Amino acid sequence: MTLAPAHVAGAGMIRFGKYPADVTLEKMAVGAARAALTDAGAELPHIDAVYVGHVFGGPVAGQRIAAQLGLDGRPVSNHENYCASGATALREAWVALAAGLHDVALVIGVEKMTDRVSGGVRPDPGDLDAAVGYVMAAGHGLSARRYMADHGATREQIAAVAVKNHAHSVHNPFAHYQRPIGLDEVLSARPIAEPLGLLDCSPISDGAAAMVLCSPAGLRRLGLTTSVPRMLGCALVSGSVRPGTGDVNEEDVSLRAAEEAWKLTGVGPGDIDLVEMHDCFTIAEIVRMEGLGLIPRGEGASWTEAGHTSLGGRLPVNPSGGLLSRGHPVGATGVAQACELTWQLRGTAGARQVEGARVGLSYCKGGTVNGTDGGSVTTLVMAR
Amino acid sequence: MPAVAAARPFREGLLKLAPPRLLGSRCDRCATVSFPAREFCPGCRAVDAIAETELSPAGSVYSFTVVRQAPPGIAVPYVLAYVDLPEGVRVLAQVSGVAPEEVTIGLPVHLELTAFDQDAEGADLVGYRFRAGSEVAA
Repeated sequence: MTLAPAHVAGAGMIRFGKYPADVTLEKMAVGAARAALTDAGAELPHIDAVYVGHVFGGPVAGQRIAAQLGLDGRPVSNHENYCASGATALREAWVALAAGLHDVALVIGVEKMTDRVSGGVRPDPGDLDAAVGYVMAAGHGLSARRYMADHGATREQIAAVAVKNHAHSVHNPFAHYQRPIGLDEVLSARPIAEPLGLLDCSPISDGAAAMVLCSPAGLRRLGLTTSVPRMLGCALVSGSVRPGTGDVNEEDVSLRAAEEAWKLTGVGPGDIDLVEMHDCFTIAEIVRMEGLGLIPRGEGASWTEAGHTSLGGRLPVNPSGGLLSRGHPVGATGVAQACELTWQLRGTAGARQVEGARVGLSYCKGGTVNGTDGGSVTTLVMAR
Repeated sequence: MPAVAAARPFREGLLKLAPPRLLGSRCDRCATVSFPAREFCPGCRAVDAIAETELSPAGSVYSFTVVRQAPPGIAVPYVLAYVDLPEGVRVLAQVSGVAPEEVTIGLPVHLELTAFDQDAEGADLVGYRFRAGSEVAA
């Protein structure tokens, strides 16, 4: 089934990073929303509905934001799918536009983390994995150890993901980190969940990103004639209960998310010019790219080392710097990825531009559930 | 002497204490074994013919990590591993009795009980982990 695409009229972000306490969740969201509205040339009365992705924002954060923004009274919904919350909000807005319910939707992803999360994120305390000491970094340490054993990948090849993504975000004014790092720096960083160290992990960040999505009627309302770019669709799948003792890096959940995306959008893996990938940890970028079928199984680490996933390479991954370097305010990440795709497909990404980009994919994975291969996974496809 | 409530598993139906065994579920239709026990079979999706089953206490390390940073309240470092059991079940658990740098993929381990917490009445809640080596308590 193919639904009508959503037109991206505007995209906006605030820089990700660590903000003081008085820069509240609401303030950050309003800042990103105003940037997206300005980019779209939209006024407040143009907006039909507000979709907000967040995890730690508390009850009705979206309505608190709308009341600061001047969009009080509208339909506002809050979307929680852990690190895929922002992408899930985009998906729900796209579905509402395609259904004809709304014509202009404002989507906001936002998270205030640095004042409420320390030492890393973990599953819900009621989950059995959490009870035995699982933290997110540990899951990726287990994945990396096995990937190295099964595919002969080196620690250096996995660390190369961090070096690449930090090199990319030197050119991203919205990135938490904007300085290059060396391989030695990654390898000698203090260990977090071996074999992964501090620079293999995305940081705890604050931030917000927003988009204005339109139906064709919505574009006319805003006085826009161009339809560049279009969000062709966003698939959503969940991890499945996986009996047995198979490959922990099989990434069946990513494979299913890819197949859903191709089915929803009519785009195929060969059409993808760039990827914004959920690199919450270095190894995650590698195994998820393989799971999507965009890199052959077992070759993700060597591809990274060879520069195939760098700007100018065969398939650039995370020109924005990704979660590792742009930062990872969890509810904001999916919307920030879509902002980056927008700028790349408009050809306005400056020194991090992927030349000739026509179709981009962004991937989010949120949360873990004991016995499954993940919580939520989204695959969003955008085309110019 | 005040009555002391008996020790019990930190979650009902997860394990038995004497002898220490993890409790899973087994599907009589397709023989798929699950841990923890589920009310459906993840292999064939049957919801009837699911029975409790004791899992082997001996297994081997499929993969492992040494956790050196965790949120407040969790003492580090500790070894966390996926342990594969002969029933075709993979269990996530901490591994004891071995220095972190000595753990390897394939290391034989066996189940042991560990203090988890106390309930409101002061009874010990018991959890599980695996100890390096192949010796098994009867």
